[in-house]
Amino acid sequence: MIPGEPGSSAKPASKYRSQFRIYVDVMHVIQRENNQAKPTRILYGANLSHDRLIKYLEELKSLGVIQESGTGDKVYSLTQKGIEFMNNFKKVESFASAFGFRI
Amino acid sequence: MLLAIAQPLAWFLGFDSLMEFIAFVIAAAVAYQALKGYRLSKERTLLYLHFSFVLIGAGLLVDGLSGIVVLLSQFHRGFLVLYALGYTINFIAQLIAYGLLVFAYLQQTRNISAQFAATAVVSALFFERNAFAELILIFLLVYITAHTAMNYSLSKTTNSMLVFGAFASLTIAHFFFLMFMLVPIFFPLAHIAQLFGFLLLLGMLLRVNQPS
Repeated sequence: MIPGEPGSSAKPASKYRSQFRIYVDVMHVIQRENNQAKPTRILYGANLSHDRLIKYLEELKSLGVIQESGTGDKVYSLTQKGIEFMNNFKKVESFASAFGFRI
Repeated sequence: MLLAIAQPLAWFLGFDSLMEFIAFVIAAAVAYQALKGYRLSKERTLLYLHFSFVLIGAGLLVDGLSGIVVLLSQFHRGFLVLYALGYTINFIAQLIAYGLLVFAYLQQTRNISAQFAATAVVSALFFERNAFAELILIFLLVYITAHTAMNYSLSKTTNSMLVFGAFASLTIAHFFFLMFMLVPIFFPLAHIAQLFGFLLLLGMLLRVNQPS
């Protein structure tokens, strides 16, 4: 399970993304790229700076939801755990948005 | 007093409990889905939604059970108080539940402080079951319905339409419960509208969980 933003007691304002939301955005970009995404695609797709991208990719790798392959040009893909997470997330997002809640 | 009004509708007692049991199962399913969502996303509004539907389900279950006990006792005088007690518990549970949902919407839009919303909900609890208290419940439901209507107008998705339809039906149901104090025939109509609202929520749940 991917945790939400640590210490975020209040709901984040819409212009700021929670850590959880960034994780989802990164994974969504990877999924969109046929589960084979280069860092540059993720950087633009998830709208992150290079430093933050590296940080989040490492965190997602340690959570076991993405994996890195390739030696020169790195390519990231979702693991089985990551695919299952995204499927569950889509259901939760659909459920929450039906009530008008944003996650 | 309620029983005296409801006497011409004695034939319907039992059906109302059955409808409430069905609604209870659907409310429990919505609560479970909201809890699953909270566990995944840690989004607080989903936790409020979970507790809201837990309360709605619990209220419906208690009300349904009290109706069945009274029916099985063949309206024995000693058991009649249970009917009123079940209704009151259901009413209070719904008042807190819809108050919690309103709080969740208010917190999301940040139009109101948490303390103010909490005070409004607690203040509402001081009212006992009567037309005025029922009106408070309707006001809460009208707010939720308006919010879900706005959500539907923005998103135009089938799921948001089902949720909007569900809360609109629940609002109508509570209006009928209010009218039932004057005209008994509104009692079965209210239960039908309430069940219809929960069936719409079931439709939304089935759509959300269908295999992609």
